[in-house]
Formats: sequence, C-alpha cells, structure tokens
Amino acid sequence: MNYMHKSIEELHEDLINGQVTSEDLVKEALEKTHEVQEKCNAFVTILDDAKPGDVTDNLLSGIPFGIKDNYSTKDILSTGSSNTLKDYVPFFNATAVENLYKAGAIPVNKTVMDEFGMGGTGTTGHTGAVKNPWDLSRSCAGSSAGSACAVASGVYPYALGSDTGDSIRKPAAYCGIVGYKPTYGIISRYGLFPFASSLDHCGVFSRNVRDAAIVVDAMKGIDKNDMTSWDSSNIHLLESLNGDVKGKKVCYIKEICDIKNYENPTEELKLHLENFMNVLENIKKLGIVVEEVSVDKKLLDAEPSVYVAISCAEATSNMSNLTGIIFGPRGSGANINEVMMDHRTHGFSPLIKRRFVIGSYILQKENQERYFKNAQRVRRLLVDTWKKLYETYDAVILPVGSGPAKHLDGSKDILTKDTAVLEEHMQIGNFGGFPSITIPDGFINDLPVALNITGNVYDDANVLNIAYAIESQMNFKNQIAKEVK
Amino acid sequence: MNNFTKELVDSLAEKLLIGLTEEENQMVLDEFAIIDENLGKLEIDGLENVEPMTHCLDDFYCTLREDIAEESIPIEDLLRNSDQTEGREIEVPKVVGE
Repeated sequence: MNYMHKSIEELHEDLINGQVTSEDLVKEALEKTHEVQEKCNAFVTILDDAKPGDVTDNLLSGIPFGIKDNYSTKDILSTGSSNTLKDYVPFFNATAVENLYKAGAIPVNKTVMDEFGMGGTGTTGHTGAVKNPWDLSRSCAGSSAGSACAVASGVYPYALGSDTGDSIRKPAAYCGIVGYKPTYGIISRYGLFPFASSLDHCGVFSRNVRDAAIVVDAMKGIDKNDMTSWDSSNIHLLESLNGDVKGKKVCYIKEICDIKNYENPTEELKLHLENFMNVLENIKKLGIVVEEVSVDKKLLDAEPSVYVAISCAEATSNMSNLTGIIFGPRGSGANINEVMMDHRTHGFSPLIKRRFVIGSYILQKENQERYFKNAQRVRRLLVDTWKKLYETYDAVILPVGSGPAKHLDGSKDILTKDTAVLEEHMQIGNFGGFPSITIPDGFINDLPVALNITGNVYDDANVLNIAYAIESQMNFKNQIAKEVK
Repeated sequence: MNNFTKELVDSLAEKLLIGLTEEENQMVLDEFAIIDENLGKLEIDGLENVEPMTHCLDDFYCTLREDIAEESIPIEDLLRNSDQTEGREIEVPKVVGE
C-alpha cells in the first residue's frame, strides 16, 4: 500500500494508529525519490541511509520531507546547485531545518534549484535541468524546481523552498501544488544561503493549505542568529484555518488581469485569464467581496527592473565570499587573485556571472543614485501602493504567470523588453515582505495553472484562511502529477 | 543614457574576479539596456524625495543579544571544507611581498 500521496494529518493518523510505520514511509519516499530522479532530475543528494524517527504528538514526526539545496544541513552535502560549492558539507543546520528536526521530521533528499536561487527556470543548477512531472518537455520554473517537482510527484507531503522573487510561488503554479512564502522574518534565514538579503524568504511546498500551515508553524520562530526574525509565538496558522471568509474583501488589478492589456495574447493566456475570472465569480459564493482596482501602469511596468537592480546588487555583495579558499574547490593560478578568478570563472554559470556584473555596475558610486537608490525608491512606491490596498482589502488576488509551465527549450531566463508584469508581479510580495500563497486554480491543455493571494505583513493567518476557503471550493487540492504528454 | 560598454563590462568582471566569454559579455549589455531603459523612463514627480526602501518591514525593531560568551566552533570543523590546509591553518599562495 502507498502512503506518500496523503496529507500530513492523514499520515499522522495512520502512524498513530499503527497502520504504517515511519520506516515504511521513509522506504516509500526513497523509492519514489529514485523514480522521480530517473524521470525529472529533481535531486542533488538522495539520503539512502535516512533513518526512521519516533512518532510523537507532533504532526510532522516520523514523516519524510525534502530540503532545497540552499539550506545548510549538518553533515549533508549542500551545494546551492553550484559548482562553486559542489563538495560543501556544512557543520551546522539552518534554523528552519533544525526546527523541523525538533518536530521529528525526516529528511530524505536535497532538491535541485537554479544556481543559488538566481533563476526562474530550474535549468541552471550544476546537476542539470529539472523536468516538469506533468510534461517532461516543460519546465518546473524556479528557483525551487526540485522541491516543487518532488511534492507534485508524491515523493512526500512537503518540501522546503526559498523565495527571493517568486521562487516558491511560480514553481508551485507550474507543478499544480501549493507554495507559501510567509511574512519576512517569521522564519529565520540563518543557514539559508543568502542571495538578496532584503528579499530572501524561507517557505514551503505542499499539496494543500492545511499542510503548508502545519509546516510553517513548525519552521517559524524568533532566532538569535537572525536579527531580522521576530517573535511569532502568538500566531498559530493551523488553528486559524476555519474557512469562514464571509465578508472578506479581495481585489484584483485591472492592468494585470484584463486581456485587452496584452498585444497578440496567446491562446493559453486567454484561457488562463478567463479561468481566473471564472474562479473570482465562484468565490463570491463563499461570501468574499471581489473588486477590481486600478494601479499606475508605469509603476507596474518598472517592477521587473526594480527587482533585477536590487537583487543583482545584493547578490554581488553576498557572494563575494565564494572564492574557493575557505570552502569550495580550489582554483589554480600563480597568485591568490588568479586562484580565486579560476574558481569563480569556472564555478559560476553564465546567468550568475552576468547578474554579478550588472550588480557591480549598479553599486558603483557614480551609478548608485540612478539605479540602486531609484530602484529602492520605486520599491517603496510599489509597497506603499499595495499597503494602501490593504487598508480596504484583506488580500490582492492575481493569476500566476501567463499560463501553464513553459517548454524547457524556451527557458532562457533573460529579461526581455516584453517581460510582462503578469509574469513578475509576485516579486512585489518580496519587496514588502508580504505573506503570499499560490494555489492551483485549474487546467489548460491538461497542465495546471494557479492563482496567488497576497496580504499585508503579519496577516498570514488571514491570507491562509482565504486560500483555505478558496481551495475547499475547488477540486485541485492533494493532486499528484500525472504525466500527460 | 548609460555608458555601459563592452570594455566596462570586462573591467567590472575583472574586479569581480570572473572571466566572461564574448557571448556572456554581450548578454550583459543586452540585459542592462532594458534595465536602463525601464528605470530611466520612470518619470515620477518627486521620486527623489521618496525614501529608498532597504528592508521589508518598516516597523522592524532590532533587539541586541545579551553579551554572553558561547562555545566556539571546533577549528577542525571550520577547516573541513577547505581543499588546502596545513595543521590548523588554510594554505594560500604567498601574498606578502608579491
């Protein structure tokens, strides 16, 4: 009998009743890991020697899970999917991981990502591209591609992700599962490889909203090792899910959702937006008030560049410690500079290298005002615009991306002039540290599509409850990817 | 207009200690042209008066830890990931006197 398709609460009940053991679950998760690796290339490391754990009152005890490879895991290879750290084995655990260990959770693999989280295709990791379990010719998006793929494939009920610009919420959409990035700082980032510190968030993939709440309840907490973490002991996400959303108000943005804004829209985009508007009509039956709002198009259009400017600048600084001297494979050369240059030139992928150069240019004293400071100013204007919306609405609800998963051969990850705000709007959730969750909302050409719900900071319980109610109204929770093409 | 040129890209890459191919250099130029155009055309009255946003949480209050000494990480653990060590030290090419 198989169990890994079940929810956390169902698995816990089976464990408590003695219907299954932790050993059985670990064995099944590892078998599935190998199957998925063969098909989708989702894992950097498979922990074949994973040991079962005790089953306690904690819902996560004895249950397997996966960890994105940019979380430090003591005595377990942690590469960030980069050649610069291809043999790196940390001597400590990330706090979020440690908190899950304390809950009794059992790690069974480390998942592939875009190198150091800097990408949105799942194709730039040093072990190769991750394939979408619904259609192997398509991308999982990124950067948390392997975690999304594994959860969607039924390897385990949940896996850890990180999200700097939508790296949990976009892959969740492409894989037909739930992706939740909570408020900035509710989960400690200690031990998460830094990409852009003012935008980096920890979070989770699951197949339903309740599971996401359970996992973040266990991961969160103030941490003396992360000065940006805060005390959330009064927030109980699972307990706050009651599905009562009568009178809640959500808004969608005309400039993003109206098909008339797009020149020559694809058939997939038309269907995606049509489906989204149908879902909005349906959720009114739950008692949710849905309204259209308008946001300055010029401000929205600047958003993708603001993200690139800030993230590149912060990444350039954060990754200057990757030299191959203290850790990582040692480069060769006649002097110390040549040794470091050899390590960095051959270790980083082209995508990362060009982002470093852009970040470095932006940080030059003579350019800071025009690029870096202006990007930070526009960041504030965007966040203030969203906060103004939250004075009236509980959440902003928007479609994710321009349709289902893109073909792998089209995943270039280059910022182009026609980059639609539709593809990138979830980055505003990172600008403001807003709690933000993606849930599946339909299928186009047999492939999943999704919507995103984003609320004000600290209002995670409200955002999750709205997501929980909407999820309950649809038929897409707990779905496992079925290869369709 | 930005003054982002091929030579400047190579110069920045060298300072960052990374080598770029011709193709990679061109990709940087192409991508940056779009960023420059998008950020440059943002004409918002009073943008210069907006306080740059450097952190997600406006109400964040930093609490300092108590100044209590804690056990240090064993040096063997710290050295474990370096490819070249000698005793309790990391070995590097000679720097002084170069």
